[in-house]
Amino acid sequence: MSPRLLLLLFLRRWHARIGLAAVVFFLFLAATGVVLNHATDSGLDARYVHSAWLARCYGIAAESPRHAFRSGKHDLIAANGRWALDGRIAGEKLPRPIGIVELPGMIVVASSASLYLYGKDGVLIDRLESSALPAVPVQAIGAGARQLVLRTASGTFGSSDALSWQPAPHDVVAWSSPADLSIAEGERYAQMLEPGISVERIVLDLHSGRFAGRYGPFAVDLLAVFLAVLSLSGAWLFLKRKHRR
Amino acid sequence: MNRAARRPLAVLALALAAAAVHGEVYQEPGAFIAEVFGSTPAPKVLWLTKELQAQAAAILGHAPPQLRQRYWSGGGKSVWILEETGKEELITAGFVVVDGRIDHVRVLEYRESRGQEVRQSSFLKQFKNAKLAQGNRLDREIDGIVGATLSVGAMERMARLALFFDRLSHG
Repeated sequence: MSPRLLLLLFLRRWHARIGLAAVVFFLFLAATGVVLNHATDSGLDARYVHSAWLARCYGIAAESPRHAFRSGKHDLIAANGRWALDGRIAGEKLPRPIGIVELPGMIVVASSASLYLYGKDGVLIDRLESSALPAVPVQAIGAGARQLVLRTASGTFGSSDALSWQPAPHDVVAWSSPADLSIAEGERYAQMLEPGISVERIVLDLHSGRFAGRYGPFAVDLLAVFLAVLSLSGAWLFLKRKHRR
Repeated sequence: MNRAARRPLAVLALALAAAAVHGEVYQEPGAFIAEVFGSTPAPKVLWLTKELQAQAAAILGHAPPQLRQRYWSGGGKSVWILEETGKEELITAGFVVVDGRIDHVRVLEYRESRGQEVRQSSFLKQFKNAKLAQGNRLDREIDGIVGATLSVGAMERMARLALFFDRLSHG
């Protein structure tokens, strides 16, 4: 048998073997690649998987909720950048709250640099960043004489609509303060407020191999080499056959 | 997953977190408003009823994030400070509308790690004098920027929303 024929047989055999061995991985890479290409359009970047196990994989230590802020019939518990307002999740990537105040027609949650205004049904009415506040950082939020009151280093300011602010007296204000959670509440909210990882990020890490740890990307590199070998051997076999004809 | 295997993911998570917080404030909204009017007028409010929410959602491709939209007006101008997600993070932009046309636009804060080119005047000048056409679309095509497609889309949606809100504010 001529050396050229031997090489042809060798290539054909290994072309088939590599193709068969890698077919699952290639399909997986193709599928995750397509998903990533359309991740934003399909809203995968805004969807989160909440799991303490997954967060541990990413080296994120889950924070346990310790306090509740209460005002009237409303309560707010926060952990891991998430808020549970009256038992409903209010969103992701939220700042650490410093208090909650119930006003006629709305609930106001304050962080040190922003205010979140919710309707009584928990729908977000408005979000005011530092430029819309009379001063920052906000040190405390409270209610006084049917108006919202903010305490800052620059003074105490009041507003009935969270639009226009006036200096306000600070001695007749019921300031919002954290209350301890019971053990049962703590456990319930710890589960509800588990940290989240976006679906897009998980798919990206699966696609790149990073999800498998340090050596994952090298495994994906190896698959890329296999794909290159398959392409070259396939092309060579095709051209050889055509040439023979 | 063992500890050694977790380490790269932790590094990746930190890198992504750093990218997430990467953002540049080019101008504070208050300063932009003061620049337009010479001083800062009291804000006005546009409440989004269910019908208006539906129309705003048709422009944005998603429900508007809030039900109360603040704006500033005076001397025939209105200023709208809007936020929209480019790829993952919010872009904050200020729109000045005069007689139903965009007078000028400025990117006030850009938080994405790529695509800052949308703040360049060569891109933003395309919005000059743009108005709403049928279907709440702009009366012109906005040329894209390679590598900033999603940010360009976000800017265009905000421009349409600013014009739509301006029309509503005139009753």
